[in-house]
Amino acid sequence: MKKILAMLLALVMVLGLAACGGGGDANQTSDANKPAENTPDTSGGNKQDDVPAASDLDPVTLRIWFHGSNVSPEASNKVMESVNAYLQDKINVTLEPIWGTWGDFDTATVTALAGGDDVDIYFTCNWSANEYNKYARDGYWVKLDDMLPTYGAELLTTIPEGIWECAKTNGYDGVGVYAVPALKDTATQNCWDLNATLLAELGYDVDAFIASASMNPDFYYSDEFEEALQKAKDYKGGDFYPLVGEPVVFERIATGTAIITGDLNGAPVLSYYYDVEHPATDIGSKIVCKYATPEFKKFAERTYYLSQKGFISPQTQNVDTANNYREACAKTGDYLISSQSYAFGCELDYSRERGIDVRMIPTDAPYMDATSGQGAMMAISATSKNPERALMFLNLLNTDPELMTLLNYGVEGYTYNKNADGTITFIDDVRATYSPWRNGMGNIRQLPPTAEEGLDYWDRFSAYYDSAEVLPYGSFILDASELSNEATALANVYGQYGFQLMGGATNPDTVLPEFLAKLEEAGIQKLLDAANEQLAAYLAG
Amino acid sequence: MAVKGKKKNLRLNSVSPGAEAVIYVILGLFALCCIIPFVFVIIISFSAESSIRSIGYSFIPQAWSTDAFRYAFRKLPQIWRSYFNSIFITVVGTALSTFMCALYAYVLYRPDFKFRGFFNFFSFFTMIFGGGLVPTYIVCKQVLGLNENYAALIVPLLVNPFNIIIMRTFFKSSVPLELIEAATIDGSGEYNTLFRVVAPIAKPGVATIALLNALVFWNDWYLSLLYIQRNKVLQPLQALLMELQNNVEYLSRMSGQMGAAAINEAAKMPTQSLRMVLVVLIVVPIACAYPFFQRYIVAGLSVGSVKG
Amino acid sequence: MSRRLPETNPSARPNRYRFSKYKKPLVLLTMAAPTAIWLLLLRYLPMGGIVLAFKDYKVNPRNPSFISNLINSKWVGLNNFKFLFMTDDAKIMFRNTLAYNIVFIILGIVIPVAFAIMLNEVTKKFVAKAYQTMMFFPYFLSWVVVSYFLNAFIDGQYGMITAMQRAAGGDVTNWYTTMGPWPYIIVFANLWKNVGYTTVLYLSAITGIDSTQYEAAAIDGASKWQQIWYVTIPNLRTMICILFIMNVGKIFNADFGLFYSVPMNSGALYPVTQVIDTYVYRAFMVTGDIAKSSAAGLLQNVLGFICILTANGIVKKIDADSSMF
Repeated sequence: MKKILAMLLALVMVLGLAACGGGGDANQTSDANKPAENTPDTSGGNKQDDVPAASDLDPVTLRIWFHGSNVSPEASNKVMESVNAYLQDKINVTLEPIWGTWGDFDTATVTALAGGDDVDIYFTCNWSANEYNKYARDGYWVKLDDMLPTYGAELLTTIPEGIWECAKTNGYDGVGVYAVPALKDTATQNCWDLNATLLAELGYDVDAFIASASMNPDFYYSDEFEEALQKAKDYKGGDFYPLVGEPVVFERIATGTAIITGDLNGAPVLSYYYDVEHPATDIGSKIVCKYATPEFKKFAERTYYLSQKGFISPQTQNVDTANNYREACAKTGDYLISSQSYAFGCELDYSRERGIDVRMIPTDAPYMDATSGQGAMMAISATSKNPERALMFLNLLNTDPELMTLLNYGVEGYTYNKNADGTITFIDDVRATYSPWRNGMGNIRQLPPTAEEGLDYWDRFSAYYDSAEVLPYGSFILDASELSNEATALANVYGQYGFQLMGGATNPDTVLPEFLAKLEEAGIQKLLDAANEQLAAYLAG
Repeated sequence: MAVKGKKKNLRLNSVSPGAEAVIYVILGLFALCCIIPFVFVIIISFSAESSIRSIGYSFIPQAWSTDAFRYAFRKLPQIWRSYFNSIFITVVGTALSTFMCALYAYVLYRPDFKFRGFFNFFSFFTMIFGGGLVPTYIVCKQVLGLNENYAALIVPLLVNPFNIIIMRTFFKSSVPLELIEAATIDGSGEYNTLFRVVAPIAKPGVATIALLNALVFWNDWYLSLLYIQRNKVLQPLQALLMELQNNVEYLSRMSGQMGAAAINEAAKMPTQSLRMVLVVLIVVPIACAYPFFQRYIVAGLSVGSVKG
Repeated sequence: MSRRLPETNPSARPNRYRFSKYKKPLVLLTMAAPTAIWLLLLRYLPMGGIVLAFKDYKVNPRNPSFISNLINSKWVGLNNFKFLFMTDDAKIMFRNTLAYNIVFIILGIVIPVAFAIMLNEVTKKFVAKAYQTMMFFPYFLSWVVVSYFLNAFIDGQYGMITAMQRAAGGDVTNWYTTMGPWPYIIVFANLWKNVGYTTVLYLSAITGIDSTQYEAAAIDGASKWQQIWYVTIPNLRTMICILFIMNVGKIFNADFGLFYSVPMNSGALYPVTQVIDTYVYRAFMVTGDIAKSSAAGLLQNVLGFICILTANGIVKKIDADSSMF
């Protein structure tokens, strides 16, 4: 046995070394082709001031990985034909898209990035597994600052300064921009989603109800809120649950806190309090443990009370079912009040979809921070052999309405038809086979409005999002990479208590002290200290 | 010494009718327990969505409907191609892997083989230790070129040390070594001995391994997720199902952070009954293939049937 | 042809193969070759990646490939293993993993062996076949699907049991926040899904038993129970031992879906459902640290390896023929 073991070990070592050697060689050769990309400033300077015409450029193939797509192979081929004809004409590029889906994007891109796959552009953001800031820190993305003036001049002016500011992160090559942010729904506004039809049936004056609830931080705790839920429950019967939605969003609405970029992914433990009426006002920028505040205690007690009253379904209280359940209830209008993270114009879509009158009750003014600014981005991979060309492509995609429409909406006459007034109408059956995630692609404000949206849709869209105020902590990004042991423990502690506490499934009187003790044991203080130290440094510099 | 028994002698020795009745009841209850959820899935897949909404999952839905099936076939033009892919991968993969497994297990079973100990440990060791996902991915994709092709869906699953050990155990317990000795003396070559002498006797074992392999190939979706990205027409059925499933889960998990984006996307996701439809679409074909394997596994069932 | 050749009495079968070492191993080597090459390429070649568990994995952006990253990353000793033992949760997850697996191993031998023997005694063959097919069905299903079934019964809003409780006017149990029943649910779910499959393994082994052994026993006047005890069980011994040894090797690995999907990832149930694999998964989801998860995997494997060698040693002492190597 010992002999066999020794033999095996020797074999593994030899193989391992051979693999390393082989791999190393292969990489050295590719390294030799690389200096151009590693010093983009000099290569940029050597070229003509203007970007050369397509015919002067070598033909290259760019591989780009999208997120959240629903695109069939046939539809992709069909649309890519047109896209590539157009791109070859413009920048002599052939595009090879990888249509990542919601479910497979994380595993597949993380593996591909770790394996050094031959992909030029990746979708990234601050909520996917290839998290923008972490991957920039680890050196997966190419820093764009030096290349942008040469290859992305129009891009620089098209995307507002505030959004570029959000895209800045402390990456491997210092602070800078490591991905092109998308000009999309770049603000956050929390709302109560109100089933006004049901409310009216209960005998309420809808407008008066909204007026008193709007921007009112105490609404969640008011008798009015409880009374409406009770009436709805009495009216609809025993197993009707009038309050649906996402407990995590309940918490943000009822306590007036924002998400901190860099807080544990999917396991929030930190809070940042802001002025819900005037988000830009500084009320003392500080990061605190989400669960240790009196506001949270009050919220958890209230939610537990509402749950005991039978207003919250057990489905809402489970992390795996909450969102599905909300969708199901929303579709049929089986709710009175739900939580919503507002998207411009969504109440109209919802009213149409659900066949009821949906109204939104804003609970804060729209605001912007790194979380909303980094919601969708395109990064150039460090493995790309043509980073300049990749940037030229991103430049074109974000500034050329024709290309954006082609890639995002498909080919005219195939996926949509133009109307006389300049709006478009989708051919639903085909569009269903070619639906990239619209907001994940880049500057969507270039798209033609659909007939339902109306001709001035994008103007209204831009006006709304551009009005958003920037939170006092600006585009602060927490770097918790040095505390990964604590993060693993905290994530598990959160999983055990956090969600169910926010959903009112467990009694805060007994569970909250236990939860806080466990957080303490898992090292929350270390994370807090690091966060506040970084925040102070960020605000000072 | 051994007298060739006649069936009627043996039947006299079967368990008493009372004991057999007890067996019928115990096994019957368990079998029922196993099949009920299955019936349930089928019922749910034919339930009207409105019925699920109002009374939840039920054996007797308020209304029946084939909407979810029609939706699945309309929504997934890929579905027929994926059926073909799954069948192709399963047939080729099962044949190859069972063949390789039988060869290797036979070698391990031969006590006179000089390197038996080495090869035994060589496969066993990989059952416990592995290099992890990323290194394996790199070897497959960059060294072996398993990328955007059928081979990528077959090759990484060809060998399973567990099956090798099971197969060897089958050989050990059902094939007497004297048989091989005799065959060798008769001048039978090694391959001939394996396929003409050993395999027929170990048929239940081979069929069991083939069944296990077939299930692995039929149910796999992870390989498709890793290696089939640009050429998605090659996606097997299970990968299609998992993609939908994962989409739903992902949006549920992330919706708190993604805000409006996730909410709008989640609204496009399929409903409960559609998910059950996909389960039915996946399980029915492999369940239909089951009796084929079972024929060999249960062939010699009950003492009466004489073999060998 | 040669199939009918031997008519020896297996009960008198010698334990050791008598003739000397095979002279020409070349032919047998060609038989082992395809699998051996596969193992070499797809299993041994990537094993270099095990060092990941001892490295602080950072990308080398000037040459961002896994191998160059690995070479350039710092050694951190056992640092990557720390997160498993940071808090008191460690005790719970190790306890759960071991306790559940021990129960699974014991019941996973007793019940399938009993079922296989019982099936073998069913005189109506089509009934045996039908039972056996039905028992295999759960094995077709993934844990996610199993979690739907279970949910259909115990869901707090739509579930059938909940509906019955409501109809009876009693208190409605919130199953996903009540720990008490979950150890039983988990054990039952695991048996339910796997018994049919393991039964098939034993059944094939029974089918492979040479019937002359039963005939000999019958002629000696052995009753049915004696036949089972003296013929069937000894013939299953090898299979039981092999499956036992292999399961012992996985005693530190938990079936992820069973502990994650089936309880619907419910936090309140962690004290009875948290196992090493779910803990590592939840940790990985927030940190994305592949070095940590490979460290956890390596630890599970090393512990499993020690267990498997121990189990094999014990089996070897008792019955050398049934040991794995």
